[in-house]
Amino acid sequence: MRRKAYWQLTLSQLRIFVRNRQVVFWSLMFPVFFMVMLGSFIGGGGGISLGGLVLDEDQSAVSQQLVKKLQTSEVIEFTSFTGTKGSSREQALEQLKQGDTQLVLVIPRGYGERVGQAKVEAETEVEASQVAQVLYYYDETNRLTYETGRLFVSQVVDEFSKSQLDYKPVVTVQEKGVLSLQLEYIDFLVPGIVAMMIMSNNLNGVAGQIASWRERGILRRMQGTTLKASTFIAAQITARLSLNGLQAVIVLLVGFFVFGTQVNGSWWLLMTFVVLGTLSFMSIGFIIAGLAKTPESAGPIAGFISFPLLFVGGIFFPIKDMPEFLQPIIHTLPIAQLTTALRQVMNVGADLTLLWPQLLYLGLWTVGAFWIASVTFKWE
Amino acid sequence: MENIIEVDGLSKVYDKKTVVNEVRFAVRRGEVFGLLGPNGAGKTTTIEMLEGLRKPDGGRATIAGFDTQKQMDRVKAVIGVQLQSTSMFDLLTVHEMMELYASFYEKSLPVEPLIDEMALREKMNARVKGLSGGQKQRLAIALALVNDPQVLFLDEPTTGLDPQARRVLWDIILKLKERGKTMILSTHYMDEAHVLCDRICLMDQGQIIALDTPQQLVKSLSSESAVEFTLPVELAADSDAIAQFKESWQTLAAVTRVEFRKQTAVLYSNDAQRTLVDLLAWCGQSSVRLSDLSTRTATLEDVFIQMTGRSLRES
Repeated sequence: MRRKAYWQLTLSQLRIFVRNRQVVFWSLMFPVFFMVMLGSFIGGGGGISLGGLVLDEDQSAVSQQLVKKLQTSEVIEFTSFTGTKGSSREQALEQLKQGDTQLVLVIPRGYGERVGQAKVEAETEVEASQVAQVLYYYDETNRLTYETGRLFVSQVVDEFSKSQLDYKPVVTVQEKGVLSLQLEYIDFLVPGIVAMMIMSNNLNGVAGQIASWRERGILRRMQGTTLKASTFIAAQITARLSLNGLQAVIVLLVGFFVFGTQVNGSWWLLMTFVVLGTLSFMSIGFIIAGLAKTPESAGPIAGFISFPLLFVGGIFFPIKDMPEFLQPIIHTLPIAQLTTALRQVMNVGADLTLLWPQLLYLGLWTVGAFWIASVTFKWE
Repeated sequence: MENIIEVDGLSKVYDKKTVVNEVRFAVRRGEVFGLLGPNGAGKTTTIEMLEGLRKPDGGRATIAGFDTQKQMDRVKAVIGVQLQSTSMFDLLTVHEMMELYASFYEKSLPVEPLIDEMALREKMNARVKGLSGGQKQRLAIALALVNDPQVLFLDEPTTGLDPQARRVLWDIILKLKERGKTMILSTHYMDEAHVLCDRICLMDQGQIIALDTPQQLVKSLSSESAVEFTLPVELAADSDAIAQFKESWQTLAAVTRVEFRKQTAVLYSNDAQRTLVDLLAWCGQSSVRLSDLSTRTATLEDVFIQMTGRSLRES
């Protein structure tokens, strides 16, 4: 590989990108526009779209008080659940299993009584088995919901029980801990938008550009020189990685300063996933460029692939909102891995001990797609 | 003189159709070698096989002693390529394009003298997008020269250019020729081939039909002049009448051959003056009115027509 050619090609690609004002404008405006649109409309009420069911089996004055308190929350939208008598708990849990709701809170029979007893025995030690309990059911596959829900519920219940027992509320410290995980829709949205940007820039960008260069004989002309294909591809990768990295950082900074998006995890890990996502979608873009016979067909083919992924891949809507039968398929797609990884790093602050499957999966996609691209790629 | 390119039986088949059929020729160092023929004659395919851009289905070729299939890297270092399509980055400037292509080669010429030589100094910092057709072609030639190649391939360099831009490009090619640069030039303009080329290879339907200097090719025609005229539309449409006319034209003084297409007749003649006298007498007898009557010396176009029965522009 000739170093001079590599740098010149990288520089040329960056110049072409920067000089293409419309591309610069729209590829940056598009994600920011989405952030502003969705962030200010949907995010207006605060609170991410966590929904839960509360099943009041006790139906006492005290339990109804707790339900009312839960329902004032902005973080989780609690709906009172009343199923058929006798099996209503099973029905609520079935909904949880189906993914129709994210958590179920059950106030069991006898709750009010126990609270009443506790009030009487206020001064004495209460045995653990005697304490009034609420049951918190959550979806084990969804760590984010679990964390948010658990902290929220225990906070409310804690506060509630303490006020019932005339304890002085000593929740200030705990409340802070809860707040740090209080995620807004914008926190959910920004990682999705970064993933979307990586996907569409690389899929559409690579496919369209390479197909058009091929059509115009640019690739063939370079083939007539002593330039090596590997040098050309290496320069493409370098230029696109730096562009995508920069764009991702800009979007993240806009999110951070304008909307207060949180980045709870490591920036290094975040950038690692940005790079890995870029590589895998760039390879897929090269495959499309190989498939497309004309630059006119490259766009629609890339769109055919990326458009559905916008909706099912967890960019705007959580994957768990997708039809049950689709979910296992969706989870095999690189976009799902990328959105999950970015979200976990930014929202929950997850590290590699949790995210190694995503890293591995995206790595496999990159290697596989690169292999197919190198086999199917045509200079002309 | 030493041969710098040797082509031995190169063939190319697309979808079972033979587009280049066992062509054989040699190019001498320092000459401008023309490939002349209509669109689809196989000129571009022949050139692209030599440039290593297409794989031949048969035969072999060497450039400067290097095999174009086995030693393509060596070949690419000694050739300069200009393609039919513009094949440049619209958003880069002339200077940037030159620097980019210079970086592809181990050894390259300084770019600014080349830019001057191609009369692009004023446009050095202009983007490719804003160049005129002639300027783009000159840049394409400058790019092809950046590695100081031994052989320069020019594939229809003046197609689509206005007459003035064509002239400028001719001057540049003639200047390069003066400096002893070997060039292979394809064209479907016979005047261009005549002005620029030392030798011309006439191609049709994938085959070489003649190869010689322009002068010798024209001499090979049995006649050196042509008398041309046009018939009225309604007469030209009457095929019986035309057949009769052609027979009587053939008997006119000094006429060697008669061609008739659409409305126009060409009488090839060894003595234009005698043919004209006879032709006018015939007009009087048969009361046919001719228009656009003219005489000219025979050209490469006539050579092509004699050999293929078709003109260069119809393919």
